[in-house]
Amino acid sequence: MSPLTLYQLVALILLMAGLFGISQRRSLVGMLISVELMLNGAGLSIVAASQLTPANAMLGQLGTLFVMGLAAAEATLVLAIIVVIARRFGTTKTSVVSTLKG
Amino acid sequence: MENIAKIVFGFYTLIILGGSLVAVGAKSLVRAMVGLIATLMGVAGMYMLLNAQFMALMQILIYVGAVCVLIFFAIMLTRADAGGEEADSAPLRQNLLALTAVLSVGGILGWLVLTRPLATTGTPVEVSIENLGLGLLGPYGLAFELISVVLLVSMAGAVLLAWERRNGK
Repeated sequence: MSPLTLYQLVALILLMAGLFGISQRRSLVGMLISVELMLNGAGLSIVAASQLTPANAMLGQLGTLFVMGLAAAEATLVLAIIVVIARRFGTTKTSVVSTLKG
Repeated sequence: MENIAKIVFGFYTLIILGGSLVAVGAKSLVRAMVGLIATLMGVAGMYMLLNAQFMALMQILIYVGAVCVLIFFAIMLTRADAGGEEADSAPLRQNLLALTAVLSVGGILGWLVLTRPLATTGTPVEVSIENLGLGLLGPYGLAFELISVVLLVSMAGAVLLAWERRNGK
């Protein structure tokens, strides 16, 4: 098994953990943590694929840097949304916040 | 891979595995966040192993330094008592459905990764920090400017959303 395959499998583990968390967690903060796990898996996969193949290594590292920046922006916005929801509903449980459910 | 690299790789994989299990399964959100930090450290070690030192540094700086502090603020600001939010565990049916989704996606992707290996060069290439900076200022300058606009807009949006009006309107 080549080193690249091993790195891709680790990234796949991160993706699977994040996917399980986001569909099973019942609070918004827990879902945010799972999203960060998935984004990390994507970054690891990109860097491994660009460092270990003849592809442009600089492009891979810069792409992962942008993924990190987007993750930071996303975490900022999700924090603000969680604060607003906590103020309006008094809790961040996803089962309570279901006004749009109909 | 050399033998020592294999050992270090296994060590980081164990850290990532344990950390992500804690991050996903812990009842207390603070513990889940500590698991997330362990996972991020493990991924930073993987970047080191891939000869991308700058990425490892940025991983610790941005994720552990910024994102995890933000998550901690989110935990505190929602006044979630340490064990309250996730104390009642999800029903079995939801767990089974989540497991089905994860196994189907993971099975397909894992099958693809295992049966279609890419041609690798074996040893990771090294990109100097100077080249990364020149890339950001040269060919990828537009993306660099756009990500700064995205960060500015998200910051302004967060302030606007969370602004507390003090007297009536």
